[in-house]
Amino acid sequence: MFGELYPFAEDSFSRFPSQSNIYGLCQAGEQELLAATLKGKVVSFTYQELQQKIRPVAKEVQFTYIPVDAEIVSIDAFNKSSPKSGLVVGITFIKDSGDKATPFLNIYCDYEPGSEFNLESIAQSCLNLELQFTPFQLYHTEVQSDDGGREIVFLLSGHDQRIHLYKENASLHQFEEQPVERLFPELQQLPSNVLWMDILCIPDGRRLSAFGCQNGCVGLALVKQCGPEVLQSWRVQFDSPISIVLLFPLICQTEPDLPSGEKSFGVEGYNLLVTSTIEMAVVYRNVHEGGLSHSLCLADSDQWDAVLCALVIDLDFDGQKEVLLGTYGQELLCYKFQHGAAGEEGHFELLWRRSFKSPLLSIIYLDLTGDGLRELAVLTLKGLYILQHSLTSTAELVLERLARRVAALTVDTEPKATEGRNTHEKDIPEEDFALKPSSN
Amino acid sequence: MRSLNYVQRVSLDFSGTLFPHAICLGDADNDTLNELVVGDTSGKVHVYKNDDSKAWITRTCAGMLTCVAVGDVCNKGKNFVVAVGAEGWFHLFDLSAAKADSTSQHESFAVDEQKPFFTQHIPANTRVILISDIDGDGRSELVVGYTDRVVRAFRWEEPSDASDSGSGQLVLLKKWLLDGQVDSLSVNPGPEGLPELMVSQPGCGYAILLCSWTQQDSPAACDDHHHHGDEDAPAPSDVILHLTTGRIHNKNVSTHLIGSISKGSKEESSKCGLFALCTLDGTLKLMDSSEQLLWSVQVDHQLFALQKLDVTRDGREEVVACAWDGQTYIIDHNRAVVRFQFDENVNAFCAGQYTCKEGKNSPCLVYVSFNHKIYVYWKVQLERMESTNLMRVLEQRPEFRHQLAALGVGEYMAKINK
Repeated sequence: MFGELYPFAEDSFSRFPSQSNIYGLCQAGEQELLAATLKGKVVSFTYQELQQKIRPVAKEVQFTYIPVDAEIVSIDAFNKSSPKSGLVVGITFIKDSGDKATPFLNIYCDYEPGSEFNLESIAQSCLNLELQFTPFQLYHTEVQSDDGGREIVFLLSGHDQRIHLYKENASLHQFEEQPVERLFPELQQLPSNVLWMDILCIPDGRRLSAFGCQNGCVGLALVKQCGPEVLQSWRVQFDSPISIVLLFPLICQTEPDLPSGEKSFGVEGYNLLVTSTIEMAVVYRNVHEGGLSHSLCLADSDQWDAVLCALVIDLDFDGQKEVLLGTYGQELLCYKFQHGAAGEEGHFELLWRRSFKSPLLSIIYLDLTGDGLRELAVLTLKGLYILQHSLTSTAELVLERLARRVAALTVDTEPKATEGRNTHEKDIPEEDFALKPSSN
Repeated sequence: MRSLNYVQRVSLDFSGTLFPHAICLGDADNDTLNELVVGDTSGKVHVYKNDDSKAWITRTCAGMLTCVAVGDVCNKGKNFVVAVGAEGWFHLFDLSAAKADSTSQHESFAVDEQKPFFTQHIPANTRVILISDIDGDGRSELVVGYTDRVVRAFRWEEPSDASDSGSGQLVLLKKWLLDGQVDSLSVNPGPEGLPELMVSQPGCGYAILLCSWTQQDSPAACDDHHHHGDEDAPAPSDVILHLTTGRIHNKNVSTHLIGSISKGSKEESSKCGLFALCTLDGTLKLMDSSEQLLWSVQVDHQLFALQKLDVTRDGREEVVACAWDGQTYIIDHNRAVVRFQFDENVNAFCAGQYTCKEGKNSPCLVYVSFNHKIYVYWKVQLERMESTNLMRVLEQRPEFRHQLAALGVGEYMAKINK
């Protein structure tokens, strides 16, 4: 029923030896994915160019200091903010040697110039931290240090109802745990274990922080980065554990489309998507102004079991983002915001849905093939799907948009020339365009 | 190796057991849309239509069905369903009438309509059948492969004054005796463009069976054949055995073949046709009728079924091979491979055009499982066999370069082209 709208074609599927979880997929660098599986294996996924062809390559990366009996909980990676450079990978796991399970956080980072981005060598230089709590989500975000520089830090939620901060100590060249209150005052005194958090930097040196808890509590705070100082904070209680909180900007289109077909862009508002394990997914609108006062439900999002992953991206290239939800019920759902008629409120409408063969755990949108067009990586219980935008129709769209540009250019620059020729042809052959720059 | 996980499928109910050749896709009711025909060991023929999990039509035959086929076996310009049992009972069904019945919503069929349109006893121990023009006269013949290494060709003949359509019968044209088991029958255009009847032989081999009646025009020779056709061992020159070279571990390994693999255009395909071979120990080969090897692939799975299917819709058919454990390989003429793992063991497999959804034929993969289900993957079409990216697709479009040049960003393209 939604077949025509579904924009993707499956490009590859990699089966994993053991299952993963909702914290098991991350982007490492521009064009690479890391997927962690339960039995201590980390698979890197990338596209390689070989003999004029690109092909998907999934291979195991041997991260050091992960014992054979370890079960990986979460994985995350980031590139350090400039002027520093290098890839940092964090992996949390539980080593169960029989009598006592011990959780660890391993942080991999290579300081050797030239190998800061080489995954193989990064995997060999490890900082091993024993944890006093069972880890959940490993997250990273950028903070402003006191001297005005920017730095990316790890945030790790745990079953001790706290979020822990890991920051690089520049002089020692290693990461260490630091009190979370100093940089994230909004993340202290939590009501329950945090299952998911999301932080978004917004203009005027502010940030929005959101977290969703096991007891159904969702917290949101507007924080002034400098200080830092909590400007405002909100809480709301759900009836079931929160699986995802996701902050995203969404354009509130106020005017109709321009006659040229170009969209007019209205004001951007910040929104918070909250998915819980038994209730419908909810989007809180304009949270930076009104907090959690204004909500919209995503109808039918509770029909396919718990929503486990979510993403907000522009899938149809119209400048308006869509909400993607992946469910335990093996469905990928796509919602689009429909602007209401004058005076009416807009709403989210289910645009299409697509079934998979096993529960969806995590989704990431990134450019794996290096063509500027991003692919959707879908981690399911059994393996990793790479869904590519249909290249034939995307190429058509690119050519159509280019043709529109070319047409706009020729109308702008040569209105007199066309009048002079005394013709009103609208369809100038393409050869004409091609010849113009060379003749100039 | 690129691997995919097809998802869109329908499951059909099928409670019986079947022989691997007792399944085929074809236009059984002459409505231009293909149906799935399955024959089981209790003698029932099930015809499935669209995505309906229940069989659209079920017919009962005598004995244990070993093979089914759909084709214009009577040369009447319309398709019949052929079902042949191990005991040698040949059944012919005309389902065009059934279509009218089902549309007029008469639930109860008359007993007569359930019966085969025609029944004949042919030699027993059938294994595989083929309906195709094997001698180049433009008319279809019926070729039957037997478990005792014999292949027989029949033609449907009717008395010239016949008014009743049921008065025809199958007439034996020829019998060939081979050295090894015949797992598949196929027809492939020879180097001169004439059809050649090919049968698979163990150890990744094949044999071309000559239709000697086309060479022997004298009536005496014809008579001689009719006389001794079934008793005498055929002249050895009627069977030309070819053994392919390469890494063959076991010269007795079960082998399948499929011919007449489309090369894209009719003219190209009609000469020096392409055929593929696969063995149970995992060898796959694509060759043409001049015995030139196009590619060979070795896999770790036990391949037991070989089909052809145009999954990219470019007119060129890909080779589809399926293993007992569900691993399926789709390979194009340039040896680009796409893999798909069906999650269960496979009882029987076929691939082809089937009208499952949207009221039109689409390429489908059909798996018969061991738990009373037939799974039809109805969305297996691919844009391309190999991964690529947007830039490569755009570079193949001439207007892309023109537009970039018009926008003054042509230098970039010029650099790439150098």
